[in-house]
Amino acid sequence: MSVAQSSARRFSPARLGGVIAAKPFGPVIAAAFVFLVLYPVVTDNLYYQNMIILSTLLAIMGSSWNIISGFTGYVSLGQSVFLGIGAYTTALFSLRVFDGASPFWFIPISAVVAGIFAAVVGSVLMRTRGHSFVILTIAFLFVMQIVTLNWSALTNGNHGLTLPLPMWDIAYQDWPFYYSLLGLLVLTVALAWWIRRTKFGMGLIAIREDENKAASVGVSTPVYKVLSFTASAVFIGAAGGIYAYYLTFIDPRGMFDIVVSVMIVLAVLLGGRGTLWGPVLGAFILEPLNEVTNNEIGGGNWRLVIFGSLLALVVLLLPRGIIPSVADLWARLRRRTDAAALVGARFEPPAPVRLPAADPAPPPSGRALLTVEGTEKRFGGLRALDGCSLTVEEGTITALIGPNGSGKTTLFNVVDGTMSADRGEVLFEGERIDKLPPWTRAHRGIGRTFQITRLFREMTVLENVVAPLRSFSWRRLGADAVSGPEAERAHELLAFVGMDRFADMQAKSLSFGQQKLVELAQILMLDPKLIMLDEPAGGINPTLIEHMAEMIRELNRQGKTFLIVEHNMPLVLSLCNPVLVLAAGTCICEGTPDEVQGDRAVLDAYLGEDYLAGQAAGA
Amino acid sequence: MTQLVQAIILGLLIGGVYALLASGLTLIFGVMDVINVAQGALLILAAFLAWTLWQEAGIDPLIGVLITTPAMFVLGFVMYKLTVQWLSGMPASMSVLLTFALALVIEGAMGLAWSTTYHAATPDYFDESYRLGQFYFPKAQVYGCGVAVGVLALLYVMLDHTWLGRAIRALSENAQSARLVGVNVRGVAALTFAVGVATTGAGGSIISVLYPFLPGSHYQWISRLLGIIVLGGMGSLPGAVVGALALGVAETMTVTYISPRWATAVPYVVIMVVLLARPQGIMGAKLREDVVV
Repeated sequence: MSVAQSSARRFSPARLGGVIAAKPFGPVIAAAFVFLVLYPVVTDNLYYQNMIILSTLLAIMGSSWNIISGFTGYVSLGQSVFLGIGAYTTALFSLRVFDGASPFWFIPISAVVAGIFAAVVGSVLMRTRGHSFVILTIAFLFVMQIVTLNWSALTNGNHGLTLPLPMWDIAYQDWPFYYSLLGLLVLTVALAWWIRRTKFGMGLIAIREDENKAASVGVSTPVYKVLSFTASAVFIGAAGGIYAYYLTFIDPRGMFDIVVSVMIVLAVLLGGRGTLWGPVLGAFILEPLNEVTNNEIGGGNWRLVIFGSLLALVVLLLPRGIIPSVADLWARLRRRTDAAALVGARFEPPAPVRLPAADPAPPPSGRALLTVEGTEKRFGGLRALDGCSLTVEEGTITALIGPNGSGKTTLFNVVDGTMSADRGEVLFEGERIDKLPPWTRAHRGIGRTFQITRLFREMTVLENVVAPLRSFSWRRLGADAVSGPEAERAHELLAFVGMDRFADMQAKSLSFGQQKLVELAQILMLDPKLIMLDEPAGGINPTLIEHMAEMIRELNRQGKTFLIVEHNMPLVLSLCNPVLVLAAGTCICEGTPDEVQGDRAVLDAYLGEDYLAGQAAGA
Repeated sequence: MTQLVQAIILGLLIGGVYALLASGLTLIFGVMDVINVAQGALLILAAFLAWTLWQEAGIDPLIGVLITTPAMFVLGFVMYKLTVQWLSGMPASMSVLLTFALALVIEGAMGLAWSTTYHAATPDYFDESYRLGQFYFPKAQVYGCGVAVGVLALLYVMLDHTWLGRAIRALSENAQSARLVGVNVRGVAALTFAVGVATTGAGGSIISVLYPFLPGSHYQWISRLLGIIVLGGMGSLPGAVVGALALGVAETMTVTYISPRWATAVPYVVIMVVLLARPQGIMGAKLREDVVV
């Protein structure tokens, strides 16, 4: 069983909406909520009240963790640090600042402090990825534990802090804790739901699927990542404040506990990472189990063995969690013949339709749109680019050819900002862009496709096309992920490339050639001035190649400038003018197709003597 | 000045032991891209084994290396076959979760078997020292460092001069190419994991004499080892040695000049600073991120 395959359709907004509203989950969730609201009123069983309080706490932490780790894909194993920060903030304010005031007053401050910590620490930690990020989050947790232990003057160190006892009538039992946490859980789930349906949430999923690609289509990744880390900390901080008051005693080892972090991760994996209700479900399974094992077997070592084994089993056997598995089963039971039946269907490219231009085409001016000056890029001892200089004039379809390893793709990476050059300048519309991040370059009007297509695999085709962002604005972050006008434009673009029928399919289910077409539509959404295509004809069938050439001509007529890397010489010669030739990291020749074909240096470096012989025989 | 030199001496002695342990961890990472977070727990387990051999059979822990190392090798092999092997194809972060889960299981199991109290093997030399002028060299640390360096040398010989060693190095360069030229990737990966875990056998025996330990000590050890391989460059064996010596000295310096209480924070601070300032570490190669594999 492959993971990628099994997580099918997990994240589409349609699916998410279905999870909230429709069968089989809707009524179950509503009933569970009513039960939780009424429970303390109808019984006075403190044992179960305590169990629900702790489950709610874990659900809040799980739902929060899900934002950074489920949506954004950055696994944090130190998320319980915010519980500790929240707990200590509330405790210190109520004890040291406002001598003996009710801790409930300081819950909002706990949330803010946790949020600030997350924003500051996140802006540093989130420069790393994968393993490094996981390790850093653990390190952050332990550093905070050690600081709290050693800063005795403030925190009373090892001896911990004792909070005031609850002041309300004993008849109300633990209701204030119970209902405040339940309210917080509602807020947390609402936040996760809101994030997932906005542009912001879509950007997070894009980052999870392919962070560099997201940057190249205009997503300002650092802002997104730091915001999501902050969003995943705020409510844990608030919950920490309530938890501290509930316990009335806190100490560094209990509050900055790695096992709590593990419980959070385990709860979300169990329920379903990246889903809305998975973390809640997982928490309400796991925490009662935890309580029972603590009470029946005495906790301690057995608890470690049980939770360790459980985590290992979930990682290995149920990596997707309960909710996606059940949802898939449900979908299979009522499968209709729909778009999925198109997979493997014969693909017939329709005649290119005229694309309604977003802007009127500017007249070809002949001025330089893109200029690369003396660019160098080294990988260890290898000079991929060695003083490369070239110019792409506005309104042209410029080809970039050259042998494998001559630096063509590296040049693309340097121009779109995926990599920074060691030396040299890149100018776009006369302005230097080589210090700008990739997303700003995308906003300026540079769009590129990849040699091996890089669509966001778990998103639908339509979502892929809507994902690019033409500019950054804080207001846009909260806008709907797929708005009406955008969807309309995306459908137009998909119709243009002949892929509209596939709009609702998962990107990863498409063939390679189809993915190339979708990737073209995707960057057209940026309305770029310069379109850089990396081997648009590579690995696709001849009919499709002709279709691709037609589309490029049509877009060019509307004013788009192209820079195309391609090995298919007939295509290059019929489509492009001028042709640039790259060899060993420098541009050795520039000219019309005829000039380039006759150039001695080009024959030596790339085309070869056979090419000349073939041409002669053909003529 | 004397204090400084003494701190450096002690740091280098303990750094030799760290070097062996970190090499095991970095070897596993280099070959299969798995950070074995359970390495610390396995180390403490080996320490308990050595302690039991010493307590029950009177075997000196440093001789017990001959028993604990093969035992941990077998355990590592079994662990790989039962769990880690099934990770292939999953995101990197899942391997951290899995091995962390294994660490918790081992911690709990040790607590059940030996109880959660401090243990220490105390052969008659454990509190004796050699003296050389103003400086002292604790016997346990000298012997421990010697054994560690010996085992490390064997590891290097194995990697440089045997077929398995070449296969391991090939795998760490490029697993797919290794498969193409006929290396049984799964088998070699299992053996690598076992070899990596076997280093905890020798290491655990040594530290059972050097430090008191309890099941929960593994957090301190794994963070120390992670700090070392992050510092040296993940996957780099020479880097692990350099990182180990540097961290050993950094710790003894902190104990001498700041406070033993803050020594526990050193590995975490090293991890954070290195990963943020120079993610590839001292010896690690900066990888191309643009090539899709």
